[in-house]
Amino acid sequence: MNDMRMTERKVGTRDTKISGENVDVYYGSTHAIKGVNVNIEDKAVTAFIGPSGCGKSTFLRCLNRMNDTIDSCRVEGKITIDGNDIYDKRVDPVQLRAMVGMVFQKPNPFPKSIYDNVAYGPRIHGLAQSKDDLDEIVEKSLRRGAIWNEVKDRLHSPGTGLSGGQQQRLCIARAVATEPEVLLMDEPCSALDPIATAQVEELIDELRESFSVVIVTHSMQQAARVSQKTAFFHLGEMVEFGETGEIFNNPRDPRTESYITGRIG
Amino acid sequence: MANGHISSVFDRELEAVQAHIMRMGGLVETSILDAAKSLETRDEELAEEVRRRDLLIDELEIQINEEAARLIALRAPVAVDLRTALSVMKISGNLERIGDFSKNMAKRTFVLAQMNHIPDAYADIRRMAQMVELMLKDALDAYIRRDLALAHDVRVRDAEVDQMYNAMFRQFLTFMMEDPRNITGCMHLHFIAKNTERMGDHVTSIADQVIYLITGEMPADDRPKGDRTAFMTSEKEG
Repeated sequence: MNDMRMTERKVGTRDTKISGENVDVYYGSTHAIKGVNVNIEDKAVTAFIGPSGCGKSTFLRCLNRMNDTIDSCRVEGKITIDGNDIYDKRVDPVQLRAMVGMVFQKPNPFPKSIYDNVAYGPRIHGLAQSKDDLDEIVEKSLRRGAIWNEVKDRLHSPGTGLSGGQQQRLCIARAVATEPEVLLMDEPCSALDPIATAQVEELIDELRESFSVVIVTHSMQQAARVSQKTAFFHLGEMVEFGETGEIFNNPRDPRTESYITGRIG
Repeated sequence: MANGHISSVFDRELEAVQAHIMRMGGLVETSILDAAKSLETRDEELAEEVRRRDLLIDELEIQINEEAARLIALRAPVAVDLRTALSVMKISGNLERIGDFSKNMAKRTFVLAQMNHIPDAYADIRRMAQMVELMLKDALDAYIRRDLALAHDVRVRDAEVDQMYNAMFRQFLTFMMEDPRNITGCMHLHFIAKNTERMGDHVTSIADQVIYLITGEMPADDRPKGDRTAFMTSEKEG
């Protein structure tokens, strides 16, 4: 099936950005991810769906080595970004996370001003040469986060004073400020109202012009709306991965069909 | 799919709209047979009943479409559930058209009762109508049982209806050439035969929907087709 949205916005290179080969993840003795193989495209939105505990968030967290912070967690297999193994000993996780931005379920702005929230990343990574440079990065990031017009007159008031939807867009602006190449989103809209959700979804669609976006969502309608590719996880396995229209119209695996149609799988 | 939805209300809604399709289908089947019978036996009372029944069929179509629209709006169905909602809308449209053709056949009972008798024609039309009715019954059985093989079988059988229509077309031409007093009657009978052939096409379209519902893909357009009347002339003209 042709995805007409692909032609609507002239992006979608079909190049592989992130690649997982036989990825296994263990929490102690628990086998959380079982032999996942996946190629995630550049300049496209990929959605991970599946019931709670299916491993979709765990897999997402492998992509920027967030799981390193959990002692009992062990990752096996190979994950590459642009062909480079991200679990290679020479890779600095901090540098990796500058390249692979992340947005979380609950908006979590730093208890600082709106400006400092966005400027924090570029500052610690030394991306700005001067105050003017930094101002420019902050403005550009806030525009990309589709929140500039709402906050441009109060850049120095606290980020925590914004509404939930605005806070989430601020967090997206913060995530894109370090010029990442990949943006990971773990249920970015589950704490937002429908209007804020629509704004964030519109933003995600714009962001895929510049990034490879991977989103974990419990809302299947959201996955259907924002993504070009969908992966269905179940009990640690990636059951099905394909073009979003195909997955929601005519899934190949009966487990996918049971899940998306709301039947007991 | 053996498993029900987690939401049992959703299951009941899907079942209800499909039950309405079966009810509508049953009424349409009866109308096809009644219309052909009223024609053959010149039973004007039975013809009137077909006309009355058509109102009910039309109402059911509207009701089914409303229920399907409601399902789409409230449940946002996907995959097989979405195909169910889409297929009931299409099938109800096909059934409504078949109902209309039956009504039209019954209507012509009144005028044909005044006409010259055309030998064999009424029996032929009854046979053709029975064939279409049986195809419709099988298509609806295939729908409710999700029976792919039966749906394919129905599609293939449409060629037989086409062939019957071809033979009747030829026969009517001959009768009209023989005696111009047959022309009015034959014109009416030809419309009836053509409409019955169209009913077969609508039944085929229902079978297509059954295949789409089960497989997610429309069947390839490779079934045998038999309507040759677009190329026919009488021997004298030829």
